[in-house]
Amino acid sequence: METKITRGPIVNCANLSMTFGKSCVLDKIDFTAKPGELHCIIGPNGGGKSTFVKSLLGQLRHEGSISLEWDNQPGRIGYVPQTIEVDKTVPLTVENFISLCVQNRPAFLGISKRVKKEIDSVLERVNMLHKKKLLFSELSGGERQRVLFAQALIPSPDLLILDEPMNSIDRTGAAIFSGIIDDLKKEGVTVIWVHHDLAQVREKADVVTCINRSIIFQGVPRDVMDEKHLLEIFTAQPVQEAI
Amino acid sequence: MEMIYDLFRHLIQNLAQAGILPDSLTYTFVINALLCALLIGPTLGAIGTLVVAKRMAFFSSAIGNAALTGIAIGILLGEPVASPYVSLFAFSILFAIFLNFAKNRSGMSHDTLIGVFLAASLALGSTLMLGVSKTINVHILDNFLFGSIITASSDDITLLVVAVVATIVIGIKNYNRFLLSGLNPSLASVRQVPVMKYDYIFVILIALITVASVKIVGAVLVEALLIIPAAAARNISRSLKSFVLWSVLISTTSAVVGIILPMQLELSIPTGGAIIIVATIFFIATLLLRIIRRQ
Ligand SMILES: Nc1ncnc2c1ncn2[C@@H]1O[C@H](COP(=O)(O)OP(=O)(O)OP(=O)(O)O)[C@@H](O)[C@H]1O
Ligand SMILES: [Mg+2]
Repeated sequence: METKITRGPIVNCANLSMTFGKSCVLDKIDFTAKPGELHCIIGPNGGGKSTFVKSLLGQLRHEGSISLEWDNQPGRIGYVPQTIEVDKTVPLTVENFISLCVQNRPAFLGISKRVKKEIDSVLERVNMLHKKKLLFSELSGGERQRVLFAQALIPSPDLLILDEPMNSIDRTGAAIFSGIIDDLKKEGVTVIWVHHDLAQVREKADVVTCINRSIIFQGVPRDVMDEKHLLEIFTAQPVQEAI
Repeated sequence: MEMIYDLFRHLIQNLAQAGILPDSLTYTFVINALLCALLIGPTLGAIGTLVVAKRMAFFSSAIGNAALTGIAIGILLGEPVASPYVSLFAFSILFAIFLNFAKNRSGMSHDTLIGVFLAASLALGSTLMLGVSKTINVHILDNFLFGSIITASSDDITLLVVAVVATIVIGIKNYNRFLLSGLNPSLASVRQVPVMKYDYIFVILIALITVASVKIVGAVLVEALLIIPAAAARNISRSLKSFVLWSVLISTTSAVVGIILPMQLELSIPTGGAIIIVATIFFIATLLLRIIRRQ
């Protein structure tokens, strides 16, 4: 049996619940993601996917346990947010944005030498290098998403968490993303991907979890993603109201 | 500190005597005025880009109003009428901290919450002000409201220097952190930025620089100098670099022209008003440029 390289942590959460005020947004979620695996999260809008991801990152108060079990010392986490709120009044270029994420030198003073090459190379990887001088407000939704993704690759992550929005259906983007993720998986990175393209999930994911407040189904895509289950997602009503 | 100031003064006086700079710059109070302009201009211009990017324009005007209340409280408590700094500082900074706390805790939209406190602080401030104006010279209040460079004392200037240095050092060192926490708190947090802490630092900085500029620019208009140059810069910028650069340039020019020109023309108009008028002219000019370029 081949030994897998592991760089990423085992992400484990048990009985995770989370409420905003009186409404229960996540209800007793059990979840495990392993190094070298792509774990996709799907579910209807408002189902709690982004909330779940933020809980994993330790940013929200929750009940239940969450643990990141690293092999050695804790590694690096890359995070692709669902959106960023760039005000139209701020002339932030693609390059500015990435440099302000990854360097200490104030982004308005230019890119620091230390990261210049790296920034160009990740932009190249997501095919945005030729647009690095464009403003954020001039990008399409899909292009924005690619820039957010590029940012998460510096420094090279050991755990990668992507929160993809519904409307970023962009063929080129999707192909680029999954290519890079394949590479990361081979290097033993743990990847958690909130995804909306069910066909791609079925093809790419090692494990899929469908969340709508509680877990609707979970498992290997070809076992659990059948017509009945999918119908359940698309006909589901948001259920946060009741506790 | 004194030494640097003396050096600056001598340099300017020599240049003025040599006819390179205008004659009036041989006077100490004119030099003080210029110094203030050169301190306030770049600082407010630079930090203003963050205020605009973090959508905190409204917030900074609330702090300006709070400064009024602080002044009134100070005068009521018997602090020196021309410099009620203890109350001014204490009230403005507490107000900023409270506002930020309320925002975090209530989960209320920034705008609504600030709208309420903006009005409240103006109401409180103006009521108290009118109360104290019966007992003191109204001109002193005018100065706080709209700024007066002539009455700035050397203590005022020292205070300004301290506030400017603090703002510039902290602002530049943490520029990326401040901006990233505004763009996406979750991402900032993954990037090891303690978002909440930096939010507090930022609002305290705004309060600090507002309070220190009140004597010169006026409580009502400080926030205009935080916002208008940045807004003007935006019209002609296509990157963060030119955004900050133009904002600093426009703000500094506005401050210098707004302070020096009325002195040259011997007009007795409030300094703050003059500065903001110049800044607004820049804004209109850049707006026209932007409109022309779009066609
Ligand atoms: N800060 C908050 N305060 C109160 N309720 C919130 C907050 N953030 C999210 N919610 C609620 O939690 C629920 C889940 O939201 P979440 O953003 O996690 O959904 P999602 O699955 O990511 O949806 P989408 O597919 O649209 O991105 C929603 O009903 C939302 O209204
Ligand atoms: Mg979401």
